[in-house]
Amino acid sequence: MINIQHVSKSYRRVNALKDLSLEIPKGSIYGLIGPNGAGKTTLLRILAALLIPNAGQVWFDGEEVGKKPALIQRKVGYMPDFFGVYPDLTSVEYLEFYAGIHGIPRKKQTSTVNDLLELVDLNSKRDVLVETLSRGMKQRLCLARALVHDPEVLLLDEPASGLDPRARVELRELLRTLQGMGKTIIISSHILLELAEMCTDIAIIQGGQLVVAGDVEQVTRRLDGGRHIEIRVLECVPETTEALKEIEGISNVTSENGDVIQAEFVGDDRALHRVLAALITRGLPVVSFAPRSSGGRLEEVFMSITEGSSPT
Amino acid sequence: MTFAALLTKELRLRLRRERTIWVLITYLLVMTLLGFLFINRTGAYNSSTVSTVGSGLYTLLVFVQLFLIMFITPAFTATSINGEKERQTFDLLLCSRLSAFELVAGKLVAGLANALLLIAASIPLFSLVFFFGGVGPMQVFEATLVFVVTAIVVGTFGLFCSTLLKRPPVSIAIAYMFCVIWMITPWLLSFLLQLSAPFNGSAQGSYLFIGNPILAMISTFTFGGTSPIGTVSLFGTSLAPWITYAIINILLTIVLLLLSTWLVKPYPISRLARLMEKRPRKEKAAATA
Repeated sequence: MINIQHVSKSYRRVNALKDLSLEIPKGSIYGLIGPNGAGKTTLLRILAALLIPNAGQVWFDGEEVGKKPALIQRKVGYMPDFFGVYPDLTSVEYLEFYAGIHGIPRKKQTSTVNDLLELVDLNSKRDVLVETLSRGMKQRLCLARALVHDPEVLLLDEPASGLDPRARVELRELLRTLQGMGKTIIISSHILLELAEMCTDIAIIQGGQLVVAGDVEQVTRRLDGGRHIEIRVLECVPETTEALKEIEGISNVTSENGDVIQAEFVGDDRALHRVLAALITRGLPVVSFAPRSSGGRLEEVFMSITEGSSPT
Repeated sequence: MTFAALLTKELRLRLRRERTIWVLITYLLVMTLLGFLFINRTGAYNSSTVSTVGSGLYTLLVFVQLFLIMFITPAFTATSINGEKERQTFDLLLCSRLSAFELVAGKLVAGLANALLLIAASIPLFSLVFFFGGVGPMQVFEATLVFVVTAIVVGTFGLFCSTLLKRPPVSIAIAYMFCVIWMITPWLLSFLLQLSAPFNGSAQGSYLFIGNPILAMISTFTFGGTSPIGTVSLFGTSLAPWITYAIINILLTIVLLLLSTWLVKPYPISRLARLMEKRPRKEKAAATA
């Protein structure tokens, strides 16, 4: 568990972070979202013990980052928002170098590097100079570099920026594999949908302050003010529409596509269950009842809350 | 282990650059050409003048090599730390198990390896001198020591500049300025002293030359241990300028290396303040106990 308590950081007159507190659960894929200049990179650099906050503390499993930076850096794999590669080294040499400076014995280095190249699917490029790799490949190589000392926590700063859709999907799959290996992954991005797809939890930061944090569903609901439900019925569309309008928490009921009814709903899962129960009790022929993902709207809400934001 | 990994990477990168081989070729070509011109200029020589040609050639090569070392070594080290920052790989080094000393020492050794490679590559050229004679092996040994010490101190100063200054071009410029000032300041000051009061190699003017590479080199073949300028007496023993030069510059290297080690990690001033805070606390605790 990573505990961030009242962290503030300023660069001369710019307040990059203002009294920010967060709890990051172990084993989660945690997304830090915010517009450019929101303070995401500053927060990641503080977590990597590369920056000292002006105020507040960060705890990693009970260890304060500021007091034991070397210990924390062993637990953390940091991937900055730039490639940071040595172009004249091959992929294997690049990873072997980082394995060496992380204290991995020479005998173990070869197997570690082979495993990592396999994991990021760069085995065919093992003896190729890093400068000749594509952007997506460089990104995967950098991810392998961040993993070279088998850290518990991965800090990824804008890992998907500049990647094509295929590379993004591959990265998402890779992150899920890593989560399956028990790693806590903290990712920053200024593209909400990019993170909503791959994260279990998200925090929205704006102007160095926390706007909202929690698991993706919770945050969506809090931002959105409700969920969208898509109901398909066999005939009886007008009756179902009328029935829905009478139920508490339901609004904006529409039926545009024949037997499909859409509505907005405010409430928790129990209340949602009561909506379904009410429809069934009334004998309405419900075929499917789906709280729809509100990704598209979420982006709109995100845009509206971060509109005109800039660090102060 | 971590130091070896850094050194291996640095040497790999440096030796793979095309620039390295061109520097080596140009370096040897310049020295060979100057030596060739010197021998040709001397013209026909007989058995009595051949040793003079040998010592003349040696003097020329030694000074050319000294100047080349002073002007090539900073280029190898003066961008080693801020170059990593510019390439955006420095944070990744900080996140590793490399200690500040290992980081600085690894960069310095790799940079110096290039300079020492130039010195080693010139040895066959220097061996030509022995065909002509007029130069003793001890003289060559002393000159080589001056070369090595010069490379080390110039390299360490370059490294210090690269930890202190953010921009590589600025750190290179400062390192070169240091080399120029280091070489010419004693001569300039002694000239000014001579203008104000006649200078006869008195102690006042002599101390200006302590640690000067040109005088140290001259002392290896012109005056030997009996140079009136720059000779220092320590506990009744008189030390030749090249010995004083070696001692002073090794001490300077250690100081610069320690300063670079301190400066290379983030927040050097805050860390110093914290260290100062801790010390009185420890002393207080010891006093209470």
